[in-house]
Amino acid sequence: MMRSGRNLASSELRAIQLDVPHSPASAATLEKTLKAMSDTVGAAAVFATDEDRDAYSDHFPIDPQRHRPYAAVAPTTAEQVQALVRVAAANRVPIWTVSRGKNLGYGTAAPVVAGSIILDLSRMKKIEVDVENATVLLEPGVGFYDLYDYLQTRNIPLMLSVPGNSWGSVIGNALDRGLGYTPYGEHTRNLCGLEVVLPDGDIVRTGMGAMPNSPSWQLHRFGYGPAWDQLFVQSNFGIVTKAGMWLMPQPEIIRGFDVEMDRMEDLGPLIDAIGPLRREGILLQSPTIGNWFRAANILTTRKQWTDKPGSLTDDVISAIRKQFGLGWWGVSLRVYGRETVVQANMDILEKALKAINPMSMKPFSWRPGEPFAPTQGGWMGVPMTFPMQSANWFGGRGGHIGFSPVLTQSGKLALEQFQRTYARYKEFGMDYQASFAFGERHMLNVNAVLLNLDDPQFMKRVDPFLRTLIADARQHGYGEYRAHIDYMDVVADCYDYNNHALRRLNERIKDALDPAGILAPGKSGIWPSAYRKERKA
Amino acid sequence: MRQLILVAVASLVSITAHAADPDGKQLFQQKCAMCHGPVGMGTGLLARRMKPEVAQLEKRDDLSAAYVERAARIGILNMPPITRGDVTDAQLTSIAQYLSKGKP
Repeated sequence: MMRSGRNLASSELRAIQLDVPHSPASAATLEKTLKAMSDTVGAAAVFATDEDRDAYSDHFPIDPQRHRPYAAVAPTTAEQVQALVRVAAANRVPIWTVSRGKNLGYGTAAPVVAGSIILDLSRMKKIEVDVENATVLLEPGVGFYDLYDYLQTRNIPLMLSVPGNSWGSVIGNALDRGLGYTPYGEHTRNLCGLEVVLPDGDIVRTGMGAMPNSPSWQLHRFGYGPAWDQLFVQSNFGIVTKAGMWLMPQPEIIRGFDVEMDRMEDLGPLIDAIGPLRREGILLQSPTIGNWFRAANILTTRKQWTDKPGSLTDDVISAIRKQFGLGWWGVSLRVYGRETVVQANMDILEKALKAINPMSMKPFSWRPGEPFAPTQGGWMGVPMTFPMQSANWFGGRGGHIGFSPVLTQSGKLALEQFQRTYARYKEFGMDYQASFAFGERHMLNVNAVLLNLDDPQFMKRVDPFLRTLIADARQHGYGEYRAHIDYMDVVADCYDYNNHALRRLNERIKDALDPAGILAPGKSGIWPSAYRKERKA
Repeated sequence: MRQLILVAVASLVSITAHAADPDGKQLFQQKCAMCHGPVGMGTGLLARRMKPEVAQLEKRDDLSAAYVERAARIGILNMPPITRGDVTDAQLTSIAQYLSKGKP
């Protein structure tokens, strides 16, 4: 028996029991491919035990069987990535790239096509900071914590923007269009110059990087001619092995207000108060309005409040809100920069907020070097993981899956979308968590559908629920900005102008760049010709 | 079924006592502290199941190296398994030795 101070109780295990993966390649081909990959990177960088397959599967799954990989390989250089891609292409074995494989809520490290080989870039961790120009050139294995520690230990006065789960890769998050909370919160917009391995093993640098001696690869986004950076975002056209990112010069001061609004219908006026300030540039950050549950499910568990199935009732919601002092909606607004400019913008912000009669409006102020509450760190670009405590809402094994349609900044239309969605949550017996995250012109309605992996009956409702939400949104012209691997096809299907002209264009590019169809088939609903019959929508 | 496999695998884990690894603390900071540091998700959730003052793994005195390694590789409750691409076997051994304070 295991000699340990404490045995692992069976109830504690995640215990995702899986069968062998179903690869589109034959067992003999997979074995031959893995042997060739092992010869390329060394046996110590090839992982093909059942435990490895579990570890690289989706950990917030509706059906963990559906996306189990065959193996994983961890290169350390772009040259190794090129060699591995050539091996995969020669054997026509699908590979799925992850930067660090922590994309929880969107598939973790798991591929769309079960039996793919995961190309895990976790071990590519080079960081080159240009302090004067406030840029960094990163490899995909660099996590937010790695980069934060790098800047802090060297006293470099540059600030990150981090997502609510900062465990993952800086590049990976930007390539999936992840969000943060500072003026640099639309992470994909911070990309400036990529190095990409193409599906035939060729390697290309985009923008000014196409000039071997350019000093401005990380300074000028577009280069000359077509700008390709966004073609490698949420796509399966290449493997990003380096990316330039802009970082925010540390501001002199950050000020703002933490605002709570009491009633459901306050969402509309709150959006209409913030939207003009965001469009005008008074607010440069990406404010995120969250409902009461988004804050509360980190702090408590469901069983402390009710043992009734179905959506939380109004009396329970009132009790939880009262306990934690939460409005139905809350938002943290922050103004960054030189103190005199910040003061002027704060005056405008305060006036706009007071006009909508908030339940509470707590001022915030911080200068670099001052202490701060860890829960406030997101607005200073300090990485965090505590929001993921929501996975424990049902008390056992949990998780979440995103549903995130792109809205306009209209309070009226957003309120209507909320009301439709909230009614569906009640219909399917789900607890409603949502946020409304401002872009410069648009708004992302990021819903996190909390999962109870210990309740099979609950889990059976999740897939029809998500498909209903996607269909409802589609009726109003709202498509998602990002999707879990289970929903990439159904989301792509919404973007169907002129008989799916965009999808047809994507797949013409896919077939041209990746004739063997090996690189992440099915990613974002883009299927190479060899796999097109696998499309689920 | 999975539990039986775990017991079988766990029985193969080396029980040799190791000296504390000087890299273990640094590796813990790099690989684990984001969740198991003072305000991480792991610490927050463990504080619901044990005394909060020992919810940080570094403050525990009941961890064995074998337990830490198995927990990391297979995951517990809301903790996903840690892949070997992210943390090598050798690195995990160092971390486990650091957290177990010498217990095998």
